[in-house]
Amino acid sequence: METLRDKARELLAARTVQVIIGYGQGSGGGARAVFVREAAEADALIFNEACRQNLAVYLMKPEVRKLGKAALVATPSALRTILQLAAENQVGDHDLLALAVHAAGEVTLLATLQAIEAHVTELDADLSAAEKAELRKYEALSLEQRREYWQEQFSRCLKCYACRAACPLCYCSRCTVECNQPQWIPVPAHDLGNLEWNVMRAMHLAGRCVNCGDCSRACPVAIPLYLLNQKLISDVFANFNARSGMAAKTDNAMSIFKPDDSEDFIR
Amino acid sequence: MSDFNPKIVAFVCNWCTYAGADLTGTSRMKYSPQVSIIRFPCTGRIDFMLLLKAFANGADGIIVSGCHPNDCHYSSGNFHARRRWIVFRGLLDFLGIDVRRVRFSWVSAAEGAKWAQLVNDTAEHVRQLGPFSGYHRLRGLGVG
Amino acid sequence: MARIGVFICHCGENISATVDVKKVAAAASRIPGVAHSVEYKYMCSDPGQQMIKNAVREKNLTGVVVAACSPRMHEPTFRRACAEAGLNPFLCEMANIREHCSWVHEKSDATTNKAIDIVRTLVAKVKKNKALLPIKVPVTKTALVLGGGIAGIQASLDIANAGHKVILVEKQPSIGGHMSQLSETFPTLDCSQCILTPRMVEVAQHPNITLHSYSELESLDGFIGNFKARIRKKARSLDEKLCTGCGLCTQKCPTRKIASEFDAGLGLRPAIYVPFPQAVPNKPVIDREHCTYYLKGKCRLCEKICPTQAIRFDQEDEILEVEVGAVVLATGFDIKHGDFFPEYGYGKYKDVIDGLQFERLASASGPTLGEMRRPSDGRVPETVVFVACAGSRDPAKGIEYCSKICCMYTAKHAMLYKHKVHHGRPYVFYMDIRAGGKMYEEFVRRAQEVDGVQYIRGRVSRIYERGGKLVVKGADTLLGARPMEIEADLVVLATAGVANAGAEELAQKVHVSYDPYYFYSEAHPKLRPVETNTAGIFLAGACQAPKDIPESVAQASGAAAKVAGLFSQSELVREPLIAVVDRQAPPLYSTCVGCFLCQAACPYQAIEKEEIRGRDGRLIKTVAKVNPGLCQGCGTCVALCRSKSIDIQGFSHEQVYAEVLALLNRGESDV
Ligand SMILES: Cc1cc2nc3c(=O)[nH]c(=O)nc-3n(C[C@H](O)[C@H](O)[C@H](O)COP(=O)(O)OP(=O)(O)OC[C@H]3O[C@@H](n4cnc5c(N)ncnc54)[C@H](O)[C@@H]3O)c2cc1C
Ligand code: SF4
Ligand code: SF4
Ligand code: SF4
Repeated sequence: METLRDKARELLAARTVQVIIGYGQGSGGGARAVFVREAAEADALIFNEACRQNLAVYLMKPEVRKLGKAALVATPSALRTILQLAAENQVGDHDLLALAVHAAGEVTLLATLQAIEAHVTELDADLSAAEKAELRKYEALSLEQRREYWQEQFSRCLKCYACRAACPLCYCSRCTVECNQPQWIPVPAHDLGNLEWNVMRAMHLAGRCVNCGDCSRACPVAIPLYLLNQKLISDVFANFNARSGMAAKTDNAMSIFKPDDSEDFIR
Repeated sequence: MSDFNPKIVAFVCNWCTYAGADLTGTSRMKYSPQVSIIRFPCTGRIDFMLLLKAFANGADGIIVSGCHPNDCHYSSGNFHARRRWIVFRGLLDFLGIDVRRVRFSWVSAAEGAKWAQLVNDTAEHVRQLGPFSGYHRLRGLGVG
Repeated sequence: MARIGVFICHCGENISATVDVKKVAAAASRIPGVAHSVEYKYMCSDPGQQMIKNAVREKNLTGVVVAACSPRMHEPTFRRACAEAGLNPFLCEMANIREHCSWVHEKSDATTNKAIDIVRTLVAKVKKNKALLPIKVPVTKTALVLGGGIAGIQASLDIANAGHKVILVEKQPSIGGHMSQLSETFPTLDCSQCILTPRMVEVAQHPNITLHSYSELESLDGFIGNFKARIRKKARSLDEKLCTGCGLCTQKCPTRKIASEFDAGLGLRPAIYVPFPQAVPNKPVIDREHCTYYLKGKCRLCEKICPTQAIRFDQEDEILEVEVGAVVLATGFDIKHGDFFPEYGYGKYKDVIDGLQFERLASASGPTLGEMRRPSDGRVPETVVFVACAGSRDPAKGIEYCSKICCMYTAKHAMLYKHKVHHGRPYVFYMDIRAGGKMYEEFVRRAQEVDGVQYIRGRVSRIYERGGKLVVKGADTLLGARPMEIEADLVVLATAGVANAGAEELAQKVHVSYDPYYFYSEAHPKLRPVETNTAGIFLAGACQAPKDIPESVAQASGAAAKVAGLFSQSELVREPLIAVVDRQAPPLYSTCVGCFLCQAACPYQAIEKEEIRGRDGRLIKTVAKVNPGLCQGCGTCVALCRSKSIDIQGFSHEQVYAEVLALLNRGESDV
């Protein structure tokens, strides 16, 4: 534990970074994001099982960017998010460094994107066995069962866009839902609009989502958005052999093609 | 069900399939009038959102067609489109939306006969599937 | 408020026989926004067009829909008519009710209703159309030709003769490329140097051509009509203006045992050298890797001997910046060398050589002065085996394609050998004989029938040395795969034609695409064979795929014609149906977030980064920008952009969205 705080103190004292984006004590045993700007306040930083949020989301917030170079307390998903953001031209070495946190509370300072890449290569980026099994369970349902299941799920959607706000990769300055010429997504929360919104959000994350799960956790009505993300993660990997958030400089799977991409469905 | 006339929208590229459909006309081959074409420069231009909009507005079936691989007027627009459709189809299917209602094809400017065949096949197929009421109902359209 | 005019054509009876045109006109008149709706027998006729023009003026139309044949047929006609009446031509659309309706359906209500659907769809679209102006791009009328082989030479001469300036950049000390190394050429057996040298001289003397030999492209920026190229002129260690090309230095240079590239390693050259006697320019270069002075700091003999004091040991590379409007890539090809064929002993046995080495052996200006003598001991080879398809068409070797030239030059080699060694025995191992081309098949037949070359259909499995002979083991598949063994004095491998070692790097510098073998990709395999996907960059010769001289020259002239066409006007005028990235008022500037996913997707490298800076020069945002000179309007980026920040003129989000809605939503008024 001390290592995280020590490192934070050291970085702030040396003015290597202007802010540490990390976890602090939240209410009821939970954790919340804290922005530590003085070495003296480093004791506010914690790391425990409650610290699950993908803090990389703050890298894209203008208020946070204004603070200057950041050191991000980063879970594996956050590290991958940083790389994905870098591949999308959103962050560079001058913006941040990462403090990769380990279960034991130790941190590894990753000072460059290159270092993050090297670190991430060692991680298992595949979906877990449990995740795969769950996907397979839904895939095995009949078409009608799947339709009913999702209609039921989406019928609860409030169009609050909490999923979007939680997602570090939904950083568009004007989301398509705010587009009214034409109005791609109907404003009220009804079955059709809810479906369209959710299809659109998922498609926009295809080849990009790093499976941090924050969208699902943010959803106030518990729609299992992670299933859609994981479906696309699994399809993108199966079809294009591509994974998001593994390299700081790479073409997105959805921006490129292979002449021999499958076309068994095209007749 | 037998007097059901499906509504089918065809999203096609200008250079191959649109021209192929023109050839069907010049060759006076007949096909089902249930299909209407919307012209795009390239299959690469076709936004998946438009497919959703077509279903939402009452389409029972959709045809998406462009140049064969390596024949794209813009060399690779169709390859990009193909990649998106792979992903999009997978997602629709996962959500329980019947992807049999979307027929993807490559029809070249010389394949007038293939276009007629494609339209007739799709119309027949969609006729068998029946109206896409499950989807239309989401908006309260044509319940039945 | 929109005021749309709808003009429904009977097309004689082509439309009216199956579609109730009156009903369509009546339905169209009830569509909101339609101010005028008429039908007429022939809309494309003069009176028909006049009807449109009059209505545009009299009814103050803001848009026109002509419901008639395919837009691929008459869109230009009707757009011109609108323009003549003062309406922006891009406010006119065609509803295709002939090819897509009357001709393909029987006469029925359903057919008429479909025609109405189509009209309604296009009315909805045209309401969202915007007036567009053609795009004009200025053109710098100078061409940059990269590579001075026969293809680059031909392209340069053709462009120069059309009256335009050409900058020709050749990597080697002399232009000429592979053709300068050839002895005689198929299918006529005329001497390569004899037909090539006059062209090389013409290049050197042409007032419109500036030749930079021993130079390479450093970088290329910009776009069609407006490229900026940086060229590295490598240090020749010589003041070219002073040098008269007398050649004294090359004769006196004491370092003489360097393998000559021109002689494919079979001859020797000094450290200061001209690659071959007819070189253009005929000025030497010092090979700094071998020159004693550069290696040991002593010698400078050439400097002493030069009558004009032209030697410059301290010369440095020079970077030139030029502006050009078009680029022709003519960087040619290479053949496989080295350890690619361990089973054939290539590189191990001196008398197993490749095709280019054979050319040098057969050449009157070659290391043996044209006498057929084998490299190892200088003896005249009595038996020579030629192996076609060495590496080509061999998936196991990673080269699946046919190198196209080998069948022909192998026949040529066997013939040349036989002409020089009358009693000699030439054998050719081949897979198939590919002799498509004018006088080609006849040429191969001549080798077989007149010159008695023995053709054996089968692959060679192994070559090894035995008692001063090369044992060639193979099989004759026409004789039931009978194993064959030939004791040869010389073996010539027709090794696969491959891309140049630097091909990939150059492609990345100029942003053109290439195939898995690093040959440059043409914009369309059938219809645009001399263009690349990058507007303003053209292809000539073997850099696109292995090919022979006539084909290289034809493609070069084709590329030159494209360049001359581009240069025929001072401005390039293009249809404005291109993509645009939105711009907004500060502080947003653009809804584009600069993820640049579109950049990789664009088939034409048309998407650039634009840095938006504040007054103090501080970077506020980096956003995408479409280069109107490069964009071809495919719209691939448009469908990819998540935040819908790119749109395409003529097929905009609003237009196609309106079409989908209109097509599927019949108003009560319609039927
Ligand atoms: C053994 C053999 C025998 C042949 N015999 C015949 C024959 O009898 N008849 C026939 O029709 N064809 C023959 N050919 C084919 C003929 O050689 C080619 O068709 C011809 O050379 C192609 O011309 P090119 O200008 O495209 O390429 P090249 O001849 O390869 O010329 C390319 C030029 O570009 C230069 N270059 C390369 N990279 C760069 C760069 N980055 N920047 C600047 N310059 C660069 C090279 O130095 C070279 O000068 C033969 C080929 C071989 C291998
Ligand atoms: S879509 Fe959800 S799981 Fe994927 S990166 Fe965004 S928040 Fe994380
Ligand atoms: S849903 Fe799509 S458009 Fe909206 S913020 Fe996310 S990525 Fe951007
Ligand atoms: S429309 Fe096509 S060519 Fe134009 S910028 Fe977009 S992807 Fe490139």
